Amino acid sequence: MIGFVARRLLQAIPLLIGVSLIGFGLMHLAPGGPLAVYTLNPTIQAQDIERIRIIFGLDQPIHVQYVKWATGIFSGNWGYTFFGGRPVLDVILERLPATLLLMGSALSVAILLGLSIGVLGAVKRYSVFDVLATTGALFALSFPTFWFGLMAIFVFAIELRWLPSGGMWELGEEGNILSLLQHLVLPTLVLALVITATWSRYSRSAFLEVMHQDYMRTARAKGVPPRARLLRHAFPNAAKPLIALLGVEVPFLFSGALVTETIFGWPGMGRLFVDALGMKEYPVLMGMMMFTAIFVILGNLLADIAIAAIDPRVRLR
Amino acid sequence: MTIRISRRGVLAGSAGTAMLLAAPTVRGQSINRDRIILAMTQEPVQFNPLLYVNAGTENVPEACLFDALWDVDDKGNFIPNLAAQVPSRQNGGISADGLTWTVNLKRGVKWSDGQPFTAKDVEFTYQTIMSPNVAVRSRSGFDLIKAFRVKDDHTVEMELSRPFVPFLWAWQNMHIVPHHILSREQNIQTAAFNSQPIGTGPFLLRSRTAGSHMVYERNPNYHRGPAKVRQFIHKFVPDQMAAYGQARTGEVDYLALGGVPNDRWAEARAFPDRDFLLYPTPNVQFIYYNCGKPQFADPRVRRALTMATQMQKSIDDIYFGTWPRTLSYLQPTHWAYNGDLRDYTNDAAGAERLLDEAGWRRGADGIRAKDGVQLKFTMSTTAGNVARQGCQALFQQNWKAIGVEMEIRNMPASVVWGEYTTQSRFDTLLVAWDPTVGLDPDYTARCHSRMIPVKHRQGSNYVQYENAEVDRLLELGVTQTEQADRIRTYRQIQAILHEEVPFAAQGGSVQGHLKRKQLQGPTPNQYVTDITWNVYDWAWA
Repeated sequence: MIGFVARRLLQAIPLLIGVSLIGFGLMHLAPGGPLAVYTLNPTIQAQDIERIRIIFGLDQPIHVQYVKWATGIFSGNWGYTFFGGRPVLDVILERLPATLLLMGSALSVAILLGLSIGVLGAVKRYSVFDVLATTGALFALSFPTFWFGLMAIFVFAIELRWLPSGGMWELGEEGNILSLLQHLVLPTLVLALVITATWSRYSRSAFLEVMHQDYMRTARAKGVPPRARLLRHAFPNAAKPLIALLGVEVPFLFSGALVTETIFGWPGMGRLFVDALGMKEYPVLMGMMMFTAIFVILGNLLADIAIAAIDPRVRLR
Repeated sequence: MTIRISRRGVLAGSAGTAMLLAAPTVRGQSINRDRIILAMTQEPVQFNPLLYVNAGTENVPEACLFDALWDVDDKGNFIPNLAAQVPSRQNGGISADGLTWTVNLKRGVKWSDGQPFTAKDVEFTYQTIMSPNVAVRSRSGFDLIKAFRVKDDHTVEMELSRPFVPFLWAWQNMHIVPHHILSREQNIQTAAFNSQPIGTGPFLLRSRTAGSHMVYERNPNYHRGPAKVRQFIHKFVPDQMAAYGQARTGEVDYLALGGVPNDRWAEARAFPDRDFLLYPTPNVQFIYYNCGKPQFADPRVRRALTMATQMQKSIDDIYFGTWPRTLSYLQPTHWAYNGDLRDYTNDAAGAERLLDEAGWRRGADGIRAKDGVQLKFTMSTTAGNVARQGCQALFQQNWKAIGVEMEIRNMPASVVWGEYTTQSRFDTLLVAWDPTVGLDPDYTARCHSRMIPVKHRQGSNYVQYENAEVDRLLELGVTQTEQADRIRTYRQIQAILHEEVPFAAQGGSVQGHLKRKQLQGPTPNQYVTDITWNVYDWAWA
């Protein structure tokens, strides 16, 4: 087990280097660049842009810029932002709590709901509930998130005035848990809606597949009661693909939700990414990419370990 | 112990939680007279007034925390700020030859850490602007300073290499930074000061929640007297529609910059407890013709293309008639605007005659051509700007009617305004720009023949326009000290540009702001990009 984890972590190093190389290369090959922001400022002339290009080090060949950045990362220096001159790691870490909270609550609500709906749908296949649930899931998946978001704001914040329309706290009440919860409700629900839909569909098909296996019929023939059949026999088998799905979704906890965060003014990583992308803030984009890549690797590793734990046939070597 | 979860229990619990969460939000709607909440869609990231680049949103920390030597009011007059008076020939601040500028500084001004503000700070600000290691956005005007002398603690003297009347605007645009803090920094670019600034301004930065808002507290020792509210909050709501929603519910007191979406203006005007402010900006929107491309080398072609466009219709239909039509690079209300210019657009027949005369004849495919060059080109702007896309579609139709083919090729901002623009690779652009030296009518950077970046590596004459008479007039204009003389010169420049059209002006952009009726202070000022230009004066009625 320890050997397995150590080996996987070692394998991650060349993977991360590859990710950073491709990311850095693509970012610089894509047309446009951070200096465009300067062009729009009317006082700025060609000579100013040239001077700033040199100060930012953007006049150097790409491989020199990459080596500089990579050496920095190895010594723990993630670089400084172009436009604020702040350490990239600070900029990322100050957004992390908001994103963790929103994604954490949305994922928990969604998995709980999605799993229940999916299992129930599989058990009572083709029932009214099942038809409603699958149609509803299709509906939720087909409509764009921004539409749900704007509708939620319109109905609950502007018309009914039950909940605040955006932000994370009532201004001046930072630290007030009640205020935080109020602000959390709408973005969580909107985000959870789509994830619930995905999870209900996945879990429904995972359970359906398992429930027609021979061992399920054997269990029934032995006289195992329905609840025990579901929990002890079906669940561990059906959970495997779901754990793999969870492993893939865990990194989203850190990368944030672009659309939902923008509509609800939620100060998380998704918005940081959108802003950085718009301005081609290379150091922040690279930082966020590495951050996400690390969590993708960790998420998959954890999923593998979890699958091995519930399925004795899987051995970690 | 076992916990039995009943369906009824779950429902009751959920309903209770929902009511608990919903109950106290009504609080957000009433006015808190202790503070003012201003909302914008963008967030400032750089609080050092010399280093920011995103005018508009980054003007807010600048105005709250720092001071310039002088400001500009909504009539276009310079008013002293850190300077005791605005230098002029009459008060001896500017020498007779226009080369020596003496500035007397206000006494008794303190930085918010208690240190005195002195001439050393002004000198240090100038030195930073000229430092090769600091990414200061622009040196326009400052590069003319030949010698900078600190005469005493409250007097500085600057000697210019040539007379330059817009020099006042250069200092209006750059706020003063503290010598005693920044001179100790190894690298100003990454100094902690840039996110925890110390200034002389009306407010102090109390806290910043990344991605959400910044809280300012009144500076009790402000040299123009303490601000009238204790707290000022700058809130960021990235989605314009959502921001408008917050201005309606009262979660924000004032929605500015971007403001109310154009299609909601009629609705916003009707709210009984809100003021809808028409806020003219210094921004004028243009069609830029790249004179370096063979299609646009002949001024008659540029003129004919402009004649064919329905400019007024584009304003009426797309901007709901809210933008003033302008025929020059200045807003029609600017003191130097040439009111004699005649609008020759919306004349397709005239455009066809002029193209025929210039030798551009329709080919078999209906597209005009001359010497093997077809009158076919692209037009670019920031992708996703719905209003501009509407204008492009209208112009495309207008041109198609006279045998000209235009293809819309929009790109993300970071692409279209990069080298595509600065290295003059475009055919035409749809772009909005302010004048280049504050709101002075000087336009040297945009249309002097020496200012073409692809040829001379300087300036911002991206349309590659060359005209010896315009060059001469531009050089004359910046040396004239009498306003009447300047008006004559700049009217002449505008008249030539109106004939030769290197860029065709469409309209002056106007924003729709929404504020609570009781909020006093926010005043439209077309001479600055900063909507908080008088924030020290904002108050509740």
